[in-house]
Amino acid sequence: MRRLASFWKLVQNENMKIYRRVSTWIMLGITVAIPLLVTIIFGLVAEDNNANNWGAMMTESEILFLLVMIFSVVKSAESVAGEFSRGTIKLLLIRPWSRASILLSKFIAILLFALLFTAVSFAVTWLANVLAFGYTAHPDSLIPSQSPLAGSSPWLFMLRYYLDEFIVLAVVVSFGFMLSAAFRSSGLAIGLSLFLLFAGSMITGLLMLADQAWIKFVLFPHLGLTTYLNGSVPLSDYPTTYAFSLGVLAVYFIVFNAVSWTAFIKRDVSA
Amino acid sequence: MSQAPVVSLQNVTKRIGSRTIIDRLTLEVNAGEVFGFLGPNGSGKTTTIRMMVGLITMSAGDITIAGHSVKSAFPQAISRVGAIVENPEMYKYLTGYQNLIHFGRMNPGITKARIDEVVALVGLQDRIHDKVKKYSLGMRQRLGVAQAILHRPALLILDEPTNGLDPAGIRELRDYLRKLSREEGTAVFVSSHLLSEMELMCDRVAIIQKGELIDIRSLRAESAGAAAGMEDVLFEVDRPSEAVTVLEGRGSARFVEGGFSVTADRETIADMNARLVQAGIRVYGIRVKVKSLEDQFLEVTGGETIG
Repeated sequence: MRRLASFWKLVQNENMKIYRRVSTWIMLGITVAIPLLVTIIFGLVAEDNNANNWGAMMTESEILFLLVMIFSVVKSAESVAGEFSRGTIKLLLIRPWSRASILLSKFIAILLFALLFTAVSFAVTWLANVLAFGYTAHPDSLIPSQSPLAGSSPWLFMLRYYLDEFIVLAVVVSFGFMLSAAFRSSGLAIGLSLFLLFAGSMITGLLMLADQAWIKFVLFPHLGLTTYLNGSVPLSDYPTTYAFSLGVLAVYFIVFNAVSWTAFIKRDVSA
Repeated sequence: MSQAPVVSLQNVTKRIGSRTIIDRLTLEVNAGEVFGFLGPNGSGKTTTIRMMVGLITMSAGDITIAGHSVKSAFPQAISRVGAIVENPEMYKYLTGYQNLIHFGRMNPGITKARIDEVVALVGLQDRIHDKVKKYSLGMRQRLGVAQAILHRPALLILDEPTNGLDPAGIRELRDYLRKLSREEGTAVFVSSHLLSEMELMCDRVAIIQKGELIDIRSLRAESAGAAAGMEDVLFEVDRPSEAVTVLEGRGSARFVEGGFSVTADRETIADMNARLVQAGIRVYGIRVKVKSLEDQFLEVTGGETIG
């Protein structure tokens, strides 16, 4: 327990380094402002059509997850590579802690950051739209009829959506972490992870041309985990199950973290 | 002192590819000693320090700190070390105080009172709640020292600590390091390429060149003299030639401006003085000639300049 308590201090340190930065608060401000803006626009144009709180929440959440993903990648790159470019890594590693503990504390702090932003997104989009459009208990357009959750409550559907997106977020963060531990340069880590995220669907499209079954094991299609919620599959030619996608994501998650661990622990620090 | 050394390097070697950066370096630093690590730029000083604090691995050999191997018992060994490696890089967007809280949390048992104590010790009370980005280099250096001594280390490692300090700051640092080594028994390991500074600061220096240890020597006049038994002494007298005649047979004297110099042990020097005075020669002064570190350095490195 004492060991755990002192390990928590490392996480506290990482939290301090995240939340004492102005950029973090700007990110949080954007995460709050965007759904408010979208709700206002919806409110203005939707006077005659029948917008409801759940539909607007879904649209805004889709936009927000893209943003939260970018913010989390930026923060995870900053968390590891930033220490190298500042030179503070030298002061950080000459303490009675293993490098594995230091890296783990950083990873936990970034996951907490992603969790906070996910929670804020949920709270803001829910509140703003309930205030603007009133509460609808049974929206007819939110859940597609072929969805495995068809007929259940909008709460359950929305929470599943957020859970799926958070799982994807965790994988993307560990990818950014890996690049940042391997290259020790935040610019390269941020640039490369965002490129791969956005070029992901393009790369998938290209691989589809090869028409090979191994495309099922490529990471990018499975980042669209929420496709299953709509009763669809990420790859129309090679149908997979939700559990299969989770499995693929889990394997990538482990591999990314194993690479970060090795890069961070084994290599000499001569920055 | 028969105490075990605080830090001991045994045949420490670092190879990168086929190049040997550090070659079988062996040395020891004792408690209460200010130890200088001297060498030209690029001679391997920082590489050695990085190996001491575990930032880079050794290709061969081992380093023990307070009896713990850096290789096999890293947390135990490093918990006794405070260090600044190269520049005192801090989190610039945090205040000095937040930086200290950050590093304080990483060692057990560092209280708020201890942080305040250290802040007062390095003289940063007035600015400690400012963001580090507003600090001058000298203030960052002080903050660097503060984070290094927070946990009362047995070994304090400072890499080029006088970089960016003004003369008053250098003097303050020197006095402070002396105090730390005398009063708390801390072993202080300082690297530098500035000879004159090392001379004022250190008890012993090791000189390295191209990754090899060339020499270790003591800089304290008393201990150096005691070890050698003999000292170079300059006698300032009114009639040098007469004085040398009086001392005939008592070592070879060399004439210098305003007097003569001899090599003798302490007792003989006192005897010589008595004889001179009895012979009615006026002795204005007797000075032990201490070779400057620069002289010594040039002696051992064969005249190659450093810095």
